[in-house]
Amino acid sequence: MGSPALTGLHDRLGAAASRAGRSGFLILGLSILLFLALAPFTPALASKGNALNLVGNLVPLFVVATGLTVVLISGGMDLSLTSIIALTSVVGAMVMNGDTGWLAGSPLAAPTAVAVMLLLGAAAGLINGVAVALLRMPAFIVTLTTMMFFSGLAIWISQSKPVDRLPDGFIALGSRPGIAVGIAAVLGGWAHLMLTRSLFGRWLHAVGQNPRTARVSGVPVAGVLIAAYVVSGVFAAAASVLYTARLETGSPVHGQRLLLDVLGATVIGGTSLFGGRGRVAWTLCGVLFLTLLDNALNLLGLSHFTIMMVKGGVILLAALLDGWRSRMLYGS
Amino acid sequence: MKSSSHPALLARRRFLPAVLGLWMAVLSTGCGRDEPSEGATATGTAERLTVGIAFETLQTEYWVAGYEALKSECARRGFKVLEAVADGDANRQLEQVKNFITRRVDGIILVPKDAKTCLPAIRAANAAGIPIVLFNRPAAQSDATSVAVVADNPGLARATVDYMIGEARKTGRKHQAMILMGDLGDINAIGRRDGFDAAVAAAPDVIEVVSRIPTEWNQEKAQAGVVNGLQANPGIRFIFSSSDFLFPSIVSALKAAGKYHRIGDPGHVILGGIDGDATAWQMLQDGYLDATGVQDVYFEAAQSVEALVALREGRDVASVILDPGFVIHQGNFREMAEKTWGANVGK
Repeated sequence: MGSPALTGLHDRLGAAASRAGRSGFLILGLSILLFLALAPFTPALASKGNALNLVGNLVPLFVVATGLTVVLISGGMDLSLTSIIALTSVVGAMVMNGDTGWLAGSPLAAPTAVAVMLLLGAAAGLINGVAVALLRMPAFIVTLTTMMFFSGLAIWISQSKPVDRLPDGFIALGSRPGIAVGIAAVLGGWAHLMLTRSLFGRWLHAVGQNPRTARVSGVPVAGVLIAAYVVSGVFAAAASVLYTARLETGSPVHGQRLLLDVLGATVIGGTSLFGGRGRVAWTLCGVLFLTLLDNALNLLGLSHFTIMMVKGGVILLAALLDGWRSRMLYGS
Repeated sequence: MKSSSHPALLARRRFLPAVLGLWMAVLSTGCGRDEPSEGATATGTAERLTVGIAFETLQTEYWVAGYEALKSECARRGFKVLEAVADGDANRQLEQVKNFITRRVDGIILVPKDAKTCLPAIRAANAAGIPIVLFNRPAAQSDATSVAVVADNPGLARATVDYMIGEARKTGRKHQAMILMGDLGDINAIGRRDGFDAAVAAAPDVIEVVSRIPTEWNQEKAQAGVVNGLQANPGIRFIFSSSDFLFPSIVSALKAAGKYHRIGDPGHVILGGIDGDATAWQMLQDGYLDATGVQDVYFEAAQSVEALVALREGRDVASVILDPGFVIHQGNFREMAEKTWGANVGK
């Protein structure tokens, strides 16, 4: 049993931490601290070239994490994001490939391929959404299964072969930081407005906080859930556009190892794994933190295994913090 | 009890210095990676280069052996080494190469994820004027400039399978054969398959290929494929694996079918592979494996580092440097132990 002074201190600290914890911007402060702590040891961290690297690494991760944010707010989960990236990558590349592409040589090849990728992402999200919302299947099982299905489909369609010779106009989407940042800003801005200023955004939060109450209140829960997964699929496809353009190749294994980064960045930002809470700006902060951490640890010359352990530890801490915040806000 | 001596506060006072100490230790460990290992002696060049080594994965013994061989070669020359492993992610590999460029390394040695997704990384190194050498996997044809040090996969596979066919011929009967193929997006896997095909095409009187197992370099798929292949064709007496790391899967399937016997036993299935890893080495010693084609990791590592030095000095370097490798079998494996990396794993 502690003294009254200690108890008071504990309560004040708890209240302050709770206030800070409710804001995903806490992580922005941690990012700045991380940068300031490491910059003296790694001069390259603050260089212009590294800033461009950081932006290049951050942008596609932010796009796919924003899609996941929408699903998490609705109380769902989407593990199939990485496979949607792979599937849309190979299909898009096969549409516009300069040798054997269905639109090889056509000036419409790149825009058509992008449209096909986005539509395919939406279709994949629709499958997930229908299974979760109408068939009442657990999101974890549905998206784990579709992750395997979409990944297998991508490998089967491409016969495991990467597809290159993509049009220059398409490659520019990933290789020019300004264009990639513009795409991410438009998508992120749209998602932010949708979540904070629209009726659909309020429905999403309501469904994530308590679907039964939301249904009683007249929210079309099934429709909202399906739409959330469609948004997630489209954002994964948009990230696939950026990854495919950046690597100048469509590949059935693009994004294969990305899930922990996407989920980790979203949760670190403050979006709740338990639904009902999250913001695009928080996700941006989470992505910034994880990308900066990865980049800085790389620049420090730490081994791959050390980096994995540090990142895993940070994500675990974020998940613990999320559980703690949920208990503080909603009780046990 | 005074609050200043409360255990929680004492623990907090100790906690902060401990965290700071740990932080400094991590930083010093990380920064220490930039320094060459003690006792490294500069040979071959007076320049003390910093080399970035980026591997796609360290999931198999072969890649670990290659990684260690490269670091040893750099240490022998007194070079600093920066390390990165992409864990199979082409995008992460591109980020890591860009990090090397940011740190102004003098040269990059890269094991690419595949022949095509590595091209932006090579272009980035080209644009920065940093020489780049691809270890064991070449890049696709493009405007990007690099040197590749690769095993002669078709030649090595052909020589290995030729030896196996010779063993089959000694029995005086025709053999049904199985091949385990790798990821056909990997040019090494294609080369090994082509070497196998060329060898068996020249021996139709001895070999009939009845089963082709696509493994995508996955042990579970290999195991399931061999089980199915042996059920469909119980007469298979000749198995070639495109990589030695698939042997545990093959052995498991053969044991389940009651067909895992030593050389000389009437039920022996002729076995051969490529790589020369520790498992293959043990199987050779135990008398179960007929032959394996060994990639000369030490030769490839030495050639890779030498190519970087030559490129920096402006000397001409062939765009592809071939490692001819060598075949080890029951007749010669003991005398080849020193050159066989699999025999030296864990020493």
